[in-house]
Amino acid sequence: PDGPKKRKKKNRWGDQTDNKAAGLMGLPTAIFATMTSEQLEAYALHLRIEEISQKLRINDVVPADGDRSPSPPPQYDNFGRRVNTREYRYRKRLEDERHKLIDKAMKAIPNYHPPSDYRRPTKTQE
Amino acid sequence: MAMMAGTTSVDLEASRVLQLLNMVTADELLDPEEYDEICEDIRDECQKFGSLVDMKVPRPSGGSRQAAGVGKIFVRFETQESASNALRSLAGRKFADRTVVCTYFSEENYEVGAF
Repeated sequence: PDGPKKRKKKNRWGDQTDNKAAGLMGLPTAIFATMTSEQLEAYALHLRIEEISQKLRINDVVPADGDRSPSPPPQYDNFGRRVNTREYRYRKRLEDERHKLIDKAMKAIPNYHPPSDYRRPTKTQE
Repeated sequence: MAMMAGTTSVDLEASRVLQLLNMVTADELLDPEEYDEICEDIRDECQKFGSLVDMKVPRPSGGSRQAAGVGKIFVRFETQESASNALRSLAGRKFADRTVVCTYFSEENYEVGAF
């Protein structure tokens, strides 16, 4: 039978009530002030960085069920513990995104201060 | 920054067009299937607030991920009332685990694609 086309992700919308990170940020999301596109872009950038920071703080890093990508093969350490757990992978992904966004914010926003619990990654091999 | 967005001294003029931010990344927009799904999800949800005239989802092009408006989404409703209701309801919701930021956008700029 011809079912509906297989989607990459189920419907992407989520409820306001289960948006824990947004509740904790306390940043306005409905904007009624006049802002230039640069100001608005800077604000959205700031908000995304705060959002990721909250997610990392409250460990809300794994996306809802239908939004997950296929898992890579498991990797184990010398003690047989799994290294690349789901939490680990998604946390890493958010941290990487945050590094990039903070770099961008430092260039784009005068006097930008990264979140207090942000630590610049130590350079490893590039 | 938060203060800036919360300022109400110069209120934005209401419009039939909404601008939605922090919903999509350039990478997602580059994937044709994902692009279609994103448009479908947004259209379906917005139509709950009234008829949509059209929408614009700028995509990265010509190797540049920084083309004007990439990452922003614009939807035009038939009435300003629908747009207002949508703005208040959609702001703060999650879209692919990102928090939606929403504001009015000038219809003239929307028509000429001045994002």
